[in-house]
Amino acid sequence: VPSGRRSPPPVSTSAALMADPRPPARVRVERFGDAALLVVLGERVDAELNARVHRLAAAVRERGDAMPGLGAPVPGYASLLVTFDPLVLAESAARAVIAEMLAAPAGPAVADADPPVTIRVRYGGADGPDLAAVAQWTGLSQGDVIDLHAGTEYTVFVVGFVPGFPYLGVLPAELALPRRATPRLRVPRGSVAIAGRQTGIYPVETPGGWHVLGRTDAAMWDPRRPSPALLGPGCRVRFVPA
Amino acid sequence: MLEVVEPGVLLTIQDAGRPGLGHLGVPPSGACDPWGRATACLLAEAPPGGAALEVTIGGTVLQALESCAVALAGADLGAELDDGRPLRPEVVHLVPAGSRIRFGGGRGPAATPGGLGLPAAPGAPMIRGARAYLALAGGIAGEQTLGSRSSYRRGGLGPWGGRPLAAGDRIAPVRRGDLGGIGLAWPVDLAPHPATSGGPLGIVPGPDEGSLPPGTLAAIAGESWRVDVASDRMGIRLAGTPLAGGAEIVSHPLLPGAVQVPPDGRPIVLLADGPTVGGYPVIGVVPRADLPRLGQLSPGDEVAFVAISADDARARWRDQQERLVSAAAALGADALWHRLADHAGG
Repeated sequence: VPSGRRSPPPVSTSAALMADPRPPARVRVERFGDAALLVVLGERVDAELNARVHRLAAAVRERGDAMPGLGAPVPGYASLLVTFDPLVLAESAARAVIAEMLAAPAGPAVADADPPVTIRVRYGGADGPDLAAVAQWTGLSQGDVIDLHAGTEYTVFVVGFVPGFPYLGVLPAELALPRRATPRLRVPRGSVAIAGRQTGIYPVETPGGWHVLGRTDAAMWDPRRPSPALLGPGCRVRFVPA
Repeated sequence: MLEVVEPGVLLTIQDAGRPGLGHLGVPPSGACDPWGRATACLLAEAPPGGAALEVTIGGTVLQALESCAVALAGADLGAELDDGRPLRPEVVHLVPAGSRIRFGGGRGPAATPGGLGLPAAPGAPMIRGARAYLALAGGIAGEQTLGSRSSYRRGGLGPWGGRPLAAGDRIAPVRRGDLGGIGLAWPVDLAPHPATSGGPLGIVPGPDEGSLPPGTLAAIAGESWRVDVASDRMGIRLAGTPLAGGAEIVSHPLLPGAVQVPPDGRPIVLLADGPTVGGYPVIGVVPRADLPRLGQLSPGDEVAFVAISADDARARWRDQQERLVSAAAALGADALWHRLADHAGG
């Protein structure tokens, strides 16, 4: 589609990330065509909800290894897509697996066992062309912006936009800004950027509308590696000024 | 061995794609018309997941550097040799060393008034559409990235770093020098291309019906839509009377066939290279059995939709796969094709 996303899509509003007093939504299992189900755990972007998504994904993935016809699950912010091959597995059987996994007691968060992945970032200058503007808009010093960004531990909510692009939350409220009015035609690979209550890392050069604070040399995406994405869904991440 | 002289509108290599990597932001890719690809691969004695050239719209010119057997399938894009001999779809052709294959663009009474109107085989209906598939003996050679040879430009995946093919690129058959199978024709009566029958495309309702105004699905099904020129391997934009748009939702995962309703009310139907996650409500999903027809839609085509139950959609999918298996048996294809499975994947 050539309107072609020129920047990571607007996945959430900052309002959606505010503390939400509503009770947890009832889980819905919706059809996604004839060969997939979408498990909807809630209707908001929320770290706890997202952690449940990754736990459910891990459980379904594990079960899928032993169950012919069950495909690899795809996590969203508050939902999980479960694909199945209808020539092999009935929809009712796929639904039964999902119901069983939802009923199982909550295990530890997927990435809790692993230490956070450290991403070294050169903030500001040519590597972070928007640092000064972000400081100006937020009324903070550039040093404060860096401290806030690097002083927070993030989780990979979802991976998308381009292969290996991690949507990381939750960015401190002080740094929340709408996306740039005019997206850049080229954001270099390794650029570390923010928008709304999220931060992300551009794994390849692409157009982009987020505010670029810095850049990393970490190889975010390499299709020749066994795990092509450095940061998978559910990963915990810390940024460290280089 | 073929060399690209002119790539035309868009020329890529596509196999059954790389499903199962959506969690890393990688779309399944693969042929937009999975049936067309499977047909070309079966005729060329390629394996079920084999690669073919996906020729889009036309303008493509290929030169044979050595004599080769070429299986064509999918839409009739007016392929002919430079001596004017037509190369019909769903047949294996001999392309002698030095000669060129030219895809002039869709032909037939409906596509080009006064056109050649050549039937694919005596009595066979014309396969109109946007994409033709060309397979070489045993398939197209080359390395896989993430388990597939499919070109995916945004992710830099596939041959030539994922870019579309360009003049000078060379494509080699897996079995070089194998000129077997010349004249082999697809058993049209057993397994006609889905695009030879008309009728509306199916939509399985869900998953975001509740996030859209009541009656949205009925409104889509009640309209005739036109395929916008701003359509590509990521998705098809539909022009027509806009629907009442919905608010954006919390982004969720996506698959090809998903029908999104953006706030402007102009639906987008995702194709093989579509986004893996997005925040436009999905009113329904075109089922797998209708993906071959979806993938053959061309800019300007009129298209209609009808709601279909998931069970009916799956029955059609099973029927389609059974027809492929019958065709494989009739062609004496490799045993791998004889199993009822997702052969038209990607």
